[in-house]
Amino acid sequence: MRIALFIPCLVNQMMPDVGIATLELLEKLGHQVILPKGQTCCGQPMTNSGCFNEAKKTTLKLLNAFKGVECDAIVCPAASCLVAAKENFHEFDTSPEAQAVIDKLYELTEFLHDVSPIPAFSKPFPHKISLQMSCHGIRMLDLATPSEQMGPRTNKVEAVLSQIPQIEIVYPDRRDECCGFGGTFALDEGAVSGKMGKDKAQAHAATGAAYAVGFDPSCLLHIDGMIKRQKLPIQIRHIAQVINAAL
Amino acid sequence: MSNKNSAVHAKKAEIFCRDEARVDWHSKALWTVREKRDRAAGSLPEWEQLRQIGSEMKLHTLTNLGQYLEEFEKNCLENGIQVHWAKDGVEHNRIVHKILADKKVKKLVKSKSMLTEECHLNPYLEQHGIEVIDTDLGERIIQLAGDPPSHIVLPAIHMKREEVGDLFHDKLGTEAGASDPFYLTRAARAHLREQFLSADAAMTGVNMAVADKGAVVVCTNEGNADMGANLPKLQLHSMGIDKVVPDLDSASALLRTLARNATGQPVTTYSSFYRGPQKGGEMHVIIVDNGRTDMLKDKILAESLKCIRCGGCLNTCPVYRRSGGHSYNYTIPGPIGIAVGAQNDDTNSIPWACTLCGSCSYVCPTKVPLDKIIHHHRRLKAEAGKLPYGKSSYMPLVGNFMASETMLNCSMSVARTALKVLPGSLLKPFSGAWGKYRELPTAPNSSFEAWFKKNRG
Amino acid sequence: MSSKDYILNALKSSAIAPQAMPVFNVAPRIDDLVGQFETNLNTVAGTLHREGGLEALQQKVDELMAQGLQVISMVDGIKGNRAVTETAHELRDIDYAVIPGDLGVAENGAIWVNNKNLGHRVTPFICENLFLVIEADTIVANMHQAASKVTLEKGEFGTFIAGPSKTADIEQALVVGAHGACSLNVYLA
Repeated sequence: MRIALFIPCLVNQMMPDVGIATLELLEKLGHQVILPKGQTCCGQPMTNSGCFNEAKKTTLKLLNAFKGVECDAIVCPAASCLVAAKENFHEFDTSPEAQAVIDKLYELTEFLHDVSPIPAFSKPFPHKISLQMSCHGIRMLDLATPSEQMGPRTNKVEAVLSQIPQIEIVYPDRRDECCGFGGTFALDEGAVSGKMGKDKAQAHAATGAAYAVGFDPSCLLHIDGMIKRQKLPIQIRHIAQVINAAL
Repeated sequence: MSNKNSAVHAKKAEIFCRDEARVDWHSKALWTVREKRDRAAGSLPEWEQLRQIGSEMKLHTLTNLGQYLEEFEKNCLENGIQVHWAKDGVEHNRIVHKILADKKVKKLVKSKSMLTEECHLNPYLEQHGIEVIDTDLGERIIQLAGDPPSHIVLPAIHMKREEVGDLFHDKLGTEAGASDPFYLTRAARAHLREQFLSADAAMTGVNMAVADKGAVVVCTNEGNADMGANLPKLQLHSMGIDKVVPDLDSASALLRTLARNATGQPVTTYSSFYRGPQKGGEMHVIIVDNGRTDMLKDKILAESLKCIRCGGCLNTCPVYRRSGGHSYNYTIPGPIGIAVGAQNDDTNSIPWACTLCGSCSYVCPTKVPLDKIIHHHRRLKAEAGKLPYGKSSYMPLVGNFMASETMLNCSMSVARTALKVLPGSLLKPFSGAWGKYRELPTAPNSSFEAWFKKNRG
Repeated sequence: MSSKDYILNALKSSAIAPQAMPVFNVAPRIDDLVGQFETNLNTVAGTLHREGGLEALQQKVDELMAQGLQVISMVDGIKGNRAVTETAHELRDIDYAVIPGDLGVAENGAIWVNNKNLGHRVTPFICENLFLVIEADTIVANMHQAASKVTLEKGEFGTFIAGPSKTADIEQALVVGAHGACSLNVYLA
């Protein structure tokens, strides 16, 4: 397939390794990967603060970067940004061209689970990992059944990762409680955000896992800051990095 | 309701967070309730179906609210129940006072009602010389302590047993230093029994008002509503217009989820249906608007009126558990408190006391889309030019900044360099709340885009 | 304009889209209703006496009366030592009340009690301890079924009672015996 990468600003600027791993793993799976030029912020920091006017310019610029790009799918290694992009594209542009872009948007796990499953992993990942089930991915993208919901359960993240030889997957206590990042929440409500992040970092470390692994770079960056502040014996990894290492 | 103690949520939360051991204690106590809720909900294969039924039934009722309220009133009148209508809290309080004054009531026993908290009924009646005794144990504790409730189902959840022990020693004469919950509860039972027996009137909130029967449903675990309503000859029940449901089936469906979601019990100990006064008694129902019809005019805010006040969203909320129920500038805290109270918050900050994690919406037994409502409140505040935390000045800058690749690239490149070459101690003051609570990220060498250009370009 | 008219008028500008009343087609769990009832009654801190019926209950009541305790019975065939009082307040020293329930609910251990069988409405709440008597074949699976069977005529009072009164308002510690009865024993007649 021909895949256009949607690399959110945070990944582009602060976690380029996540972008590189995403690119490499998709190439190893035989896809042709392109990076459309002119990508900007999805507008989430503004719309999450209620500031829709301020979000319009950057959202439409990002949308334009994908309009008319020849590809089968647009893949993004950040669940929260993807959800925001979908919602904000729709909010500011109701044209069929915008809808065509929205219809091609996939979060990385979603793409690897629903669209183009990985046939086989070639290398083992002999480590215990503690999964970081970030909120927007599970509660807005259905990557996994949230713990509040009863009945049949699905978990696309575990379904993809559990195919890796020798991987051991565990979950922190209060498995899908929010880590406290919340975009500008981390700045507006520093004390509560800090406490939530501390609790989450400790819960991951308490599993004895070598890595806390997730699909949302912003949450991971926040948890990483907490892990380092408390000097906990665990590191963060993005799922793309784990998958890429096993291909 | 403007509050002389109001301060931005972040400030109150920061104060609450200073005692970390207490935050952990508070958070754990409420998470335990969430876990009980999960077990109770999980025991019913039809749980998600019940949430859907609850949601649709409440929405249906809200779309035909005028008709159901009139049907409810007509049937109440046929049952010998007197019905009153109040536009707002002030009128509600006046009506209640008039009913009590006409009967020369000196002492009123009250069971839990968030509506009367919302209307500030207690101080009003006390100013008019009527003694008001809250009879729910948690409510009585905070009444004696002079505190507002910090939770809608567990009003004294912020207090430790030792604090209750000291309070009861002071006010009820229990042994000094005694803090055993059983001992304290029995002391309260003895104290409140005398109040029930000597009260001139009783007042309760309403969990559901059954339109086709003309009956009100009141749920308690302690039995305080029924001890109150069935002793004196005068009983009053205050209800928001959103409490009406079409019929007994609807009320019973909500009874299946209410207690399970609130505390993990299969049902409250007492679910009492009053379809008329006791022999020789008088029964009044006061139907209150107090801003509810305004909320119905906004189709997103309107859904908050599906709420059945189980408190489940508070227990699951990671922010509520770590900031406490007194940090919200409104009688009702937590997600539902933001949903129904944001418009009254003079600091405009409570819609931001939320990470938009969405847990509350999934916990809710009537599918109130709380995170969407809270997000909507942020938009309404922005549109009204009422943004907190300096957002109105910096958000337009962020908007322009984020929309410009050049600006973003240049400044982030500077930031990456700064993170690399400067010692952390020098950066911390500049990084604000981020660096105060977390370590700053390790800076990568280049952006992904630059790497791509170099390696795939 | 009266406040009633004001409210009804304001409701006309409601913004919610019309929504049909849903159908409540919830499948009841019908296996071992008495067993389910007992399990859930235990959960809410009540005790079920499956065997012995009214005879066992009368024997228990006789023992209590022999200890000098005050027992009021509203159940035909069970004899206590107290009659319905003139005022509700005079029930304040009742140690045990024996009351007939109309039906039991398996899913939560609740029993429907109608005021026709109470004398004063406050009887099941003011007594220190409560005995409820139900017939085994009145136990229904869930609250949907209960709603279609309970009687609540014009002017009446009825209540679902699930266990003795309880509270957890002090540090979430469960204490049985708040303002209502401190214990509940249910006898199958």
